[in-house]
Amino acid sequence: MIDLSIDVTMRQGEFTLIVSDAAEVEVLGLFGPSGSGKTSLLEAIAGIRRPDAGEVRIGNRILFSSSKRIDVPARERHIGYVPQDALLFPNLDVTGNINYGKRGPDAQDEEQFVALAAILDLQALLDRRVQMLSGGEKQRVAIARALMTRPSILLLDEPLAGVDRERREVILPYILRIRRELHVPLIYVTHDETELNSIADRVLRLA
Amino acid sequence: MSAETWVIARFTVLMASLATAIVLPPAIAIGWVLARKQFPGKALLETIVSLPLVLPPVATGLLLLWLFGRRSPVGQALDSMGIDVIFTWKAVVLSMMVISFPLVARSVRAGIEQVDRRYEDLAATLGAGSFRILRTITLPLASRGIAAGAVLGFSRALGEFGATIMVAGAIPGRTRTLAVGIYTLVETGREETAWSLLLVSALLAFGAIYVSNRLVEQKGRA
Amino acid sequence: MQRLFAAIAVLAAFITPVAAQPSGLVVSVAASVYDALDEIAGLYRAATGVTVALNPGGSNTLARQIAEGAKAGLFLSADEIQMDVVEQAGRIVPDTRTRLLTNELAIVAPQSAKALTLAQLLEGRIARLAMGEPGAVPAGVYGRRWLEHEGAWARLEPKVIPFPTVRAVLSAVEAGRVDAGIVYRTDATTSAVRVIATMARKDHPYLDIAYPAAVIVGPSEKEARRFLEFLKGPGARAVFDRRGFGRP
Repeated sequence: MIDLSIDVTMRQGEFTLIVSDAAEVEVLGLFGPSGSGKTSLLEAIAGIRRPDAGEVRIGNRILFSSSKRIDVPARERHIGYVPQDALLFPNLDVTGNINYGKRGPDAQDEEQFVALAAILDLQALLDRRVQMLSGGEKQRVAIARALMTRPSILLLDEPLAGVDRERREVILPYILRIRRELHVPLIYVTHDETELNSIADRVLRLA
Repeated sequence: MSAETWVIARFTVLMASLATAIVLPPAIAIGWVLARKQFPGKALLETIVSLPLVLPPVATGLLLLWLFGRRSPVGQALDSMGIDVIFTWKAVVLSMMVISFPLVARSVRAGIEQVDRRYEDLAATLGAGSFRILRTITLPLASRGIAAGAVLGFSRALGEFGATIMVAGAIPGRTRTLAVGIYTLVETGREETAWSLLLVSALLAFGAIYVSNRLVEQKGRA
Repeated sequence: MQRLFAAIAVLAAFITPVAAQPSGLVVSVAASVYDALDEIAGLYRAATGVTVALNPGGSNTLARQIAEGAKAGLFLSADEIQMDVVEQAGRIVPDTRTRLLTNELAIVAPQSAKALTLAQLLEGRIARLAMGEPGAVPAGVYGRRWLEHEGAWARLEPKVIPFPTVRAVLSAVEAGRVDAGIVYRTDATTSAVRVIATMARKDHPYLDIAYPAAVIVGPSEKEARRFLEFLKGPGARAVFDRRGFGRP
């Protein structure tokens, strides 16, 4: 369930998103044309871009506040981020990427790894080098990598943008599976209305 | 190759290797700071780091001679501890280190600047702290630049002459490197031996370039 | 990681010979006397079993190193000026400063060139004269002094090509890049050049090219004194004579 309040001013523009009613919003869709600042907004939420002014609150945590001089570093925000181009670490293989967020040997993490590999159908890819994956495969690995840290919320930046039409029908089910089986709240950014309609509980429009 | 040539060659390679190994960690640290950090006085740091590159090596040698001599606090402190620097192999390593440091640091800096910062940002969202990001993402991705810097520094150290002869002298068996040896032998009229040292120097130069190219290839494939 | 350890092991294997370097007497010696000293050091080792390490170089560099505290035990300089530098820095053991050798200037020309006479040179009938840097290198200082004495400096100064070392002057003359050069007599005998004239000491007392030696303050003082005595002895003197150095 998503409960957030974002009101920031950035170079790309001013953004205000408020979702605070008690309604069961598991997937929040953010809709906007290319160049409307969607990626910058996600980066501000994840903590890798600092807004000029404003406030970012998720749940009851204030992650950023220019008036109160709060800026929680990305490392401590527990927000999963899957960028548009997956951005898998080239020096690690698939397993290394997925496990990057792991903090130490932990039985629970082992189970999580197995579960994610199953949900996202990654078992065949685990030893592959990153350069040998297709666009869709990279996305799935990036999603698994972000989910491995058990984030409180997962940000997906145009996950299907780099994938052609037929493959999209293949990837979308994975995302739905994540929602269904893991119940991780998602903020899903896209410029494609049909995607939003099939996945979002609520849609907010940017600019 | 005569025994004398072999001794000098082995000594030079050893000293250059030691100098490069010692210089590498601080050069990586400084290279990273210059590549990734902004702070007041950054231009000053850049200038200081580049100084041995810009000064004629003899001038650097003079500075080192003063610094480790009996008239400076550092030299006096070392003397009281019984540590000799001038005219010993330590002076050879020292001059090689000082001369090659800017080259290594600059290569490291360039290598790190080429690493997409978004990788580092993403690693942060996964919970990694600064040092872990440096160790697991930044440095591995910059390894080509770092390796190239190490080879460059090593090559420069092999050929180092101006500062070395000033602060280490040309004592055979103790501080005579290939470069110093060539100069001294020519100076004292022993040119035939100088040619054999020259040949070894050239072979080492080829060797260094070969290794450097192999490294670049390897990293490129990865 | 394993490769790093392997590298360290190899390095350590190399280091042992270096760390075991002998720490004995170091003699800083002017480059022009190095060969002679090398031979004499061999005799010294045969006679006493002691190995002396020689550090050759330009006298001004050697003097500077010693003034800054370099642990040389003995200094043999190519002129008194550099020895003065060391003395003023308080680095000499008093009453050990000795005139060990003398030398003479020689005027040389390329072997292949047309015969050049001393008179022609002094009249300025050449294009290029090689000599040590007249302001700094001892051989250059003496060279200028000689030309001034002959009244030929003003005439020849524009034709002077200065070099940082006597060795470089000889190379230039051997290669025929200059018409004549001013060097030491001891250098001329070992090179492929034609000697036009030698400035004998008795005819040119104002030149007084002397090589002073002195013991340097430091831990090697005793061994340095012993070696200095050997340098003054008959065995060493024979070597110096044979190589063309004059007596003090």
